[in-house]
Amino acid sequence: MTEQNAIANEPGAPPSSAWVRFLRTYGPTPNNLTMFDEYVAGAVGRAKVQPIALSTPMLEPMKAHVASGRPGSVLIAGTAGDGKTYHCRSLWTSLGGDPRAWAAKGNIKEHRLADGRLAVFIKDLSEFNGEESDAPLARLEKSVLGGDDSEIVILAANHGQVLDRLRDLGRRQGRSHPLRKPLQEFFLQAGQEPDRLAVFDLSRSVGRMALEEVVAAVAKHAEWKNCDRCTLKLDGKVCPIYENRQRLLGIGDGAQLGRRLGDLVEIARLNGQHLPVRDLLALCANMILGHRDAKDGLMSCAEVAWIQEQGAVDRASVYGNAFGANLPKRRLADRPVFKAMAAFGIGEETTNGADGLLVYGKDDVELAPAFARLIGSDPVYGATPRLLSAQDNYLEGEEAARIDGGAAGFMGLLQEQRRRLFFTLPAGEAGYPFWSMTVFRFAGEYLEMRAALIEKKAIAEAVRGRLVRGLNRVMTGLLIDNVDRIFVASSGGFTQSRVSVLCDTEASSRRLNGVGMAVKLEAKTGRPCLDVSLAQGAGNAVAFDLTPVRFEFLSRVAEGALPGSFSNECLEDMLAFKAKLLRKAELIRGRSRQEEGEEAGADSGTLTLNFIDIEQGGHGFSRPITVRTSE
Amino acid sequence: MRQRIDIDRVDFAVDEHIWGHRLYDEQLPHLTVLEFFGVLGSNLDSPLVATPSDKVRYRPQHQIRLRGLLFNNPFVEAIRERSITDDEKWREWSSLFVQDATKLGDEDTGYLRSAFSSFDDFAKAIELLRSSAFEARSNKRWSSKFVFPFGPDALFEDLRIDSSGASNDRRFFARTGELLYLMLSRAARGPELGAQLSQRLFNRAAPMNRLVRALQGEPQLASNSRDVGHLPHATHPRFDQLCEDWLAILSRDMPIYDALEHLIASAGLNLLLYFLEQAKAQAGDAEPVEFVCEIVSKERTKVRALSGDSYQVNQGLSVKAVRASIEQARLLPEWQAASTSDYPDAERASIMRGLFQWPSADADNEADYTRMSGDKLIETLVDMAISRHEQHVGKIHASWSRAIGLSSRRLARRTRYAPNDRLIKTLVVAIVDDKMQFDEFLAEAKRRYGLVIGDAEGSRLVADKKVDQEVLSENRANLEARLVGLGLVRRLSDSCSFVENPFGFKGEGNC
Repeated sequence: MTEQNAIANEPGAPPSSAWVRFLRTYGPTPNNLTMFDEYVAGAVGRAKVQPIALSTPMLEPMKAHVASGRPGSVLIAGTAGDGKTYHCRSLWTSLGGDPRAWAAKGNIKEHRLADGRLAVFIKDLSEFNGEESDAPLARLEKSVLGGDDSEIVILAANHGQVLDRLRDLGRRQGRSHPLRKPLQEFFLQAGQEPDRLAVFDLSRSVGRMALEEVVAAVAKHAEWKNCDRCTLKLDGKVCPIYENRQRLLGIGDGAQLGRRLGDLVEIARLNGQHLPVRDLLALCANMILGHRDAKDGLMSCAEVAWIQEQGAVDRASVYGNAFGANLPKRRLADRPVFKAMAAFGIGEETTNGADGLLVYGKDDVELAPAFARLIGSDPVYGATPRLLSAQDNYLEGEEAARIDGGAAGFMGLLQEQRRRLFFTLPAGEAGYPFWSMTVFRFAGEYLEMRAALIEKKAIAEAVRGRLVRGLNRVMTGLLIDNVDRIFVASSGGFTQSRVSVLCDTEASSRRLNGVGMAVKLEAKTGRPCLDVSLAQGAGNAVAFDLTPVRFEFLSRVAEGALPGSFSNECLEDMLAFKAKLLRKAELIRGRSRQEEGEEAGADSGTLTLNFIDIEQGGHGFSRPITVRTSE
Repeated sequence: MRQRIDIDRVDFAVDEHIWGHRLYDEQLPHLTVLEFFGVLGSNLDSPLVATPSDKVRYRPQHQIRLRGLLFNNPFVEAIRERSITDDEKWREWSSLFVQDATKLGDEDTGYLRSAFSSFDDFAKAIELLRSSAFEARSNKRWSSKFVFPFGPDALFEDLRIDSSGASNDRRFFARTGELLYLMLSRAARGPELGAQLSQRLFNRAAPMNRLVRALQGEPQLASNSRDVGHLPHATHPRFDQLCEDWLAILSRDMPIYDALEHLIASAGLNLLLYFLEQAKAQAGDAEPVEFVCEIVSKERTKVRALSGDSYQVNQGLSVKAVRASIEQARLLPEWQAASTSDYPDAERASIMRGLFQWPSADADNEADYTRMSGDKLIETLVDMAISRHEQHVGKIHASWSRAIGLSSRRLARRTRYAPNDRLIKTLVVAIVDDKMQFDEFLAEAKRRYGLVIGDAEGSRLVADKKVDQEVLSENRANLEARLVGLGLVRRLSDSCSFVENPFGFKGEGNC
């Protein structure tokens, strides 16, 4: 290893230079080629470092599938960057395929298996132009639907591509391709995979676990050992690269940074955002190497000394780098992972408490101990000289602070500090809840609720109550506080009407004898859902998929404050849910009327309308109004 | 030229032969659908069953009591809030209401007292019905405001009500709803639609309909039955599309009152297309109608200018059609033949009369048309027809496209096509059974309604170098983002997303 580095590193360069340069190519550089499996081998060779090794979580099941000898074929589906090629190559090697044959030109690779079948690897569907993919797809169809057991086709493709290609092929053949519909249903989690086609969807597996693995693979990489001999961190000097790596590793905070980062990735995933492994790698590389003044925003070892001289170590804050603070806006927009991170609003969101602490904490007698503990304790990225002097200037009313935009520098530092607080505030810190530093103030409760459901435990009563209150307020458009029952309300006319004062049906807020609301874990999505049953028996319930955004929306409505930013989408979802409940109630009523038959006619002389009234104190109740009708 | 039917009470018939008698700009889509329900309500024994040669008749309801209580009754609120006994409330209110009553069956309010337990209940019911009424808060005359069509008792026609009584002045119910009835009854699946509408919307036992009936009492009908207007086509692909759209909307898993919003928007869109398609056909333009739509986003794009141009082109179609339909008289063999007759001018005047009910056979004191040459007659009629056309029929494109949310001037000086969220939702509900790949959705929106949004649909514009492909794909991405915001799209991975109808079948029990 040392020898290798001696070759790769220029003489006199810091000992980890080659490795850092290699890691840098994983980061969000303007032209990051390392992002492609096809490129990695060469890059590793040039840098003479150990590659970043990630496990292939789906590889074992794939191998097992092939080994089982089950007839049919395999589809490896995923978004760009999920590791389709990586998995494909690993499977090839593990089945005894020749790595050199793999690296050779050509998109289709064949290898005779021990059981006599011919394994046909199709590396990437997107490599084929137009009708070129017809032949491989025909081969797939022959194996899956034609009952041909002589071949096993292993096809790697992006979801959209495989569906588009099948559609175009079907069109050219004047039919709708028989594989398309079942695959579409399976991708959308609405159906089973086709009989003789094993689908491994890599995009489903990326969550907290994947992030933890990526963090470990990057931060625990063997090459970091070389830093031990580096002079850039001697004599009390702080090497920002090494510092960031230590923090990402979890040294000093009991791995809290990694956990919080995992929470964010988890929330993003549950909101339906897909973060490919390639993006998580870019995120980790950026967290370690990001610096606002470095070339392309990413540090190399050679720049560290200069950064130290400038006293600009704080501008490499791992907490800001997590949100791409070191990158120009345009480059952020290209990367789903930074878009997803930006959606949390961390840095902009804050509480009066947190901002008070950051602005006045140092000099305020009451706040000083908390300031010292939460900010002062971190001289590298917390109470930096830059922050302290900006704070003094701001508080002393320096000329510049009074004119418009004059305090922009200080505001920027505040943003940086809020980001740091999100990652560093201890869990349960009274007065400074860390989720309040995000748009998702209730995300912590969401994750707890989900964890409880996974462990088949009861969910917190306060959470259930808040959900019900939020539901009721959306359903009725009235500021009511009921937590014991759900009013399925209508306006008489369109469900879209803002205020609905007619109570169509009521349901208890907990499931009893098959009626009422239950909070369940939906196995397919891995998310909690609200399942409101209006009558006993199957098919009388409507389920509402509870994403973190929707949970946040309902919770905020329940607390009486609704930010405009993400409310439209959720409101539409809620109104669709309400319309479905009303429709369900209509169907149930229609059915019971039919069953009762004659009897229903008996009370046709009166009509009862249940109006929702609000008592003093916000409690809603339904008050019947009886109208005598002559028919 | 086809056999022409005489249209009553018009000075000349030009627009009427192109589009029917008649489409009217001020009868916005919701008023059209309400008038349509009136015709349907009179034909519940055979709803939407009529051959093109059948005479469809109907007798609309007036429901003077109901509409008076809702829209000509400003006292309820104030009296409810006074702290006097229930008896006194009823008495005070009655005396005030009767003063303003039309005396057309609304003099007696005693029945209300026995229907409601208290005045407060009565006031609440009124408030409830007003909250869902159409244009309850507009400054239209009270007799042009409408109850939500809860059921058969909630339907009534637009009227002028004054001291001389109630009369139908065709201000807002100008027969467009009658034409809608004819269109749907001439669609292949019309009877199927008729059966569904009458079963789901004409349910007397629906609670809200019963409430309306409690206020109205026995229905009040117009004094006579009447014929519906004239529609020139026995069949038309647009009629079938409209009918298919309505059937699709009714099949969705949503309450019927919610479906109504989509029925109205879909009727508006298809009627607008009928209007433009007929204009094109009349002018001999075989290209399909297109709406180039800008999907409004934060950033201004070049699609805006293009969409404004598309709007202008479509706006000009109907005038062209009017001119062409008159000038086509010259191409008739009898017009040619007239030149060899003894009295060519008189001959041509008679041909014109046969075609356009003009010039009138009676002596006209303004001009002596019999002395005009054929060309002069055509020129005169073109001028007259266009000037009449521009008053109302020529405004249909502008007013309906705005009413259904297709066109807008938002963030721009020029009107252009920039569909709003509600229209987009209706498109999803009408087009998508359950789920559909996004590009297929766009292709279908183009096929059915001529909506050009993405680069695939606008390939002709790209080929003509009117716009860069990139700009249109950005427009398409903007729509995708809008649909995500409306909870109507699910992204699978990069460049693969599905439009999902939240009220589709498979979504049963799940949203």
